[in-house]
Amino acid sequence: MSIWEKLTSIPREVIMGLVVIAILIPALNPLGLPLMVGSMSENWYDTVDSLPAGSIVLFDIGYGSGGYPSLGPGNIAAFHQMFAKNLRIVMMATALEGSMMYPLIMAGVKPESNYGAVYGEDYIFLGYIAGGQTAMAGVLGDLKSLVSSDYNGNPISGYSIMDNVGGADDIDLVAYMTTSGDTAEGWVYQAYSQYNRALLGGCLSMMTTSIKPYYDSGQLLGIMDGIKGAADLEFLTGHPGDAIVSSDILSFTQTLVLIFILVGNVAFWMQKGGGK
Amino acid sequence: MDYRRDIPLAITFIVGVIAVLDYYTTFESVTNTFTVIKNWGVVLQAFALGLGAVNLFRIHGKRISERTRDDWMFSGWLLLMLVLFVVVGLGTGQYDASTSYQWIYNSLFLPLGATMYSSLAFYMAYGSYKVLRARNFEAALLFITAVLVIIGNTPIFPATFPVFFHIREWIFGPIVSGAYRGIRIGVGIGAVVLGIRTLVGLETGYLGRR
Repeated sequence: MSIWEKLTSIPREVIMGLVVIAILIPALNPLGLPLMVGSMSENWYDTVDSLPAGSIVLFDIGYGSGGYPSLGPGNIAAFHQMFAKNLRIVMMATALEGSMMYPLIMAGVKPESNYGAVYGEDYIFLGYIAGGQTAMAGVLGDLKSLVSSDYNGNPISGYSIMDNVGGADDIDLVAYMTTSGDTAEGWVYQAYSQYNRALLGGCLSMMTTSIKPYYDSGQLLGIMDGIKGAADLEFLTGHPGDAIVSSDILSFTQTLVLIFILVGNVAFWMQKGGGK
Repeated sequence: MDYRRDIPLAITFIVGVIAVLDYYTTFESVTNTFTVIKNWGVVLQAFALGLGAVNLFRIHGKRISERTRDDWMFSGWLLLMLVLFVVVGLGTGQYDASTSYQWIYNSLFLPLGATMYSSLAFYMAYGSYKVLRARNFEAALLFITAVLVIIGNTPIFPATFPVFFHIREWIFGPIVSGAYRGIRIGVGIGAVVLGIRTLVGLETGYLGRR
């Protein structure tokens, strides 16, 4: 077997083993490799930054355990910015597991100790609302007729943040982070098309191509593009966390993948050309 | 008259017309009626989750009782976990907000979910190496685009050479967004046609197999 033949059929175990090494090196020893903040994240940050204190944000935690490594750090950074700006956040979850992500995110943000925020006055979590786009339409249409209690089972009428929040007209910004394509597009249809609300979307990197057209047309004002977007937000908000460490890992692993692709192609063409 | 067919069709027609009226008009009575319908929709979909759990018991219960497949023990484990989560959630009275429930979730499900998703990285690395070969002209176009997007998505390259960021943005702009817009417009027109056909009772696939 020639060297080129060997290079076109590197065993799976070797490639995966090298990927493990490429993950472990920056994970164990973060290098702080340079980062270029993308325009989609910058626009997310600027949109939130332009809101006056006290504005109401409807935030959908639309992901679960599978999406948490990619979207969780970005969600934490986004909340850091919102709480620092004294925005009032009404959180909900269109993903079944979203309500399980809430405590993890709040443990990272610590709104009470970091920003003096008070549950029920500055933020509230309504829990999981079934129905996908029906739930979005219901919340934006007449929230109080759809939701009567918060995540903890307490009546929302007892919380001051809900005094003036009845539907889309009372919401200044809708933001979501999701692993579902239906949810990502659903919010565009329900919040932007129906009510012309300012809208921000966060999704896995592999989904960005499908929601970018809405960003290009101005329906989405910003996109948090997976772990790369999360790293951008951590950088912009000044709260470095898991995403910035992960961007080192991304740099290592994706460079390795790139090398494999190039080696595979060079070997393929050398083999085809009869090279030995 | 076939009641099993005609009654669902009539309900679909009435609900569909109210939804369309709600979008295009500002009559308070229509808005209020549609709000009630949306709330019913949410309740129905929540109910469907319960139905899903019953279905899981039916299918996996059968697998356990028959034991014809080698993986019947996984069905048992699935039902055991399902019962555990339900018992802990209901037992504490706080459902998924209870600390016990969160502890089980964070200890069992969260690492498994993250692992499943993360394991994709290994298969994508191997898949890219095996599949992205410039064998012909079309494959070469895909290869070049993929390489440029990977370079643009790898944080260190755009940070060092910003031109890669702009190349990626250009690929994502005119090429990807342009193509995707065409797809979305096609899907949108299809959805309108499907909606009209459903409203007038020509589309009956959602009624299930008869």
